Amino acid sequence: MNTKEITEDKLNLFIDEQLDSDEMNEIRQALLDDKALRERVCQLKAVRELVGYAYSEVPPSRYEVTVQKNTNSFYGRAIAASITLVVGVLVGWSTYQYSPVAGNVISAENTFQYVANHVSVDHAQRKIILHIDSGDLRVVNAALNEADHLLATYREANTPMRLEVVTNKSGINILRPGVSPYIDRIQKLIDDDSVSFYACERSIEKAHKKEGVDIVLMPEVTTNKTAREIIPDRLEKGWVYIKA
Amino acid sequence: MKIVKNLVAAYSLKAEFSARRNKLYRIAYSWCHDPALADDLVQETIYKALKNASRLRDIQTIDTWLYRILFNCWQDYLRVKGRNVEFVEMHDDDQADQSENYQQSQIVERVRASIEQLPLPLREVVTLADFAGFSYAQIAEITEVPIGTVMSRLFRARQNLKQQLLDFGSDELSEFKLRRVK
Repeated sequence: MNTKEITEDKLNLFIDEQLDSDEMNEIRQALLDDKALRERVCQLKAVRELVGYAYSEVPPSRYEVTVQKNTNSFYGRAIAASITLVVGVLVGWSTYQYSPVAGNVISAENTFQYVANHVSVDHAQRKIILHIDSGDLRVVNAALNEADHLLATYREANTPMRLEVVTNKSGINILRPGVSPYIDRIQKLIDDDSVSFYACERSIEKAHKKEGVDIVLMPEVTTNKTAREIIPDRLEKGWVYIKA
Repeated sequence: MKIVKNLVAAYSLKAEFSARRNKLYRIAYSWCHDPALADDLVQETIYKALKNASRLRDIQTIDTWLYRILFNCWQDYLRVKGRNVEFVEMHDDDQADQSENYQQSQIVERVRASIEQLPLPLREVVTLADFAGFSYAQIAEITEVPIGTVMSRLFRARQNLKQQLLDFGSDELSEFKLRRVK
């Protein structure tokens, strides 16, 4: 398919999933190879998301003052988070300053796909993937704080959510009892039914080769997939991606 | 016994309407950008819905039905006032000053201003689709226009907004970064 022939109105139908399955698949395939096309899709998704949040906080109705008070705190935070994501997209499509290190398939080649997925709209349930590829104290602390914050926010709002924390590279070390200082904190997260932890299978193998010992992780951690398998799969399904 | 049944049904329906009042208000506000008018439109919608509750055949279609009533109330208002009426958004300065996320509220203001500049038929469709989350078919039913018209209005609305927000993105948003947690 010549991607230049994909018109804006067709992309509009694409983001709303109003095309037949063949056409949807053709465009999905084209998106993998065409950066410009990904930008166009991203722009449309960003517009849709911005409209979606533009009226989440409005001057209170004189009939709904009490309800408004109760919901404002959540809406405020949800809007703040979402707008920040969308702002990232707006800046992203014009500057690309945030692009991660080139050469990393997950972080670089699919960056725009990630960004496009930042703005997918799911009013019913939040599905979030938190990617940790570092053992740096500041990064891990901030990531775990983020996980706590997300859980608290959506719990307070009584909004269902799924959070998957995917670790790879030195990030897998946070899941090693006897090595990680975060075991208790992570155990609390794991005890929440809406949270799952993954450790990249390939990173475990590499660590095993490098250290010459078995890499023992917390028993609840899923280890039979690579980060490169998990992350694109979730993104394809519309999950929101947060990079630690 | 039948009276009791009807009473229970009426109370149940009233609860359904009340549960939707907040979202109806937001949509009405997105069209008129006037809190008092939005309130009046929703009040009238609920009143008409209760009065004509027997016409609601399938509870599954309650959302489309209610929004269609709201849309008709809005159209009635426009017919009386004339389409050239100008709406002035009531800004709440205190709210903006107290906001912890002032820059984000600025963006919201900008998006609303862009939406406000859209011709009304485009504004109605884009808010029904992207804020209320209705499908093309539902919007066609609510606004009583062919689905092709819904598609073309939505397309034009988003193109228009995209252009305005892209201009905005290159200047005011330049200091923002993609959200990262480190």
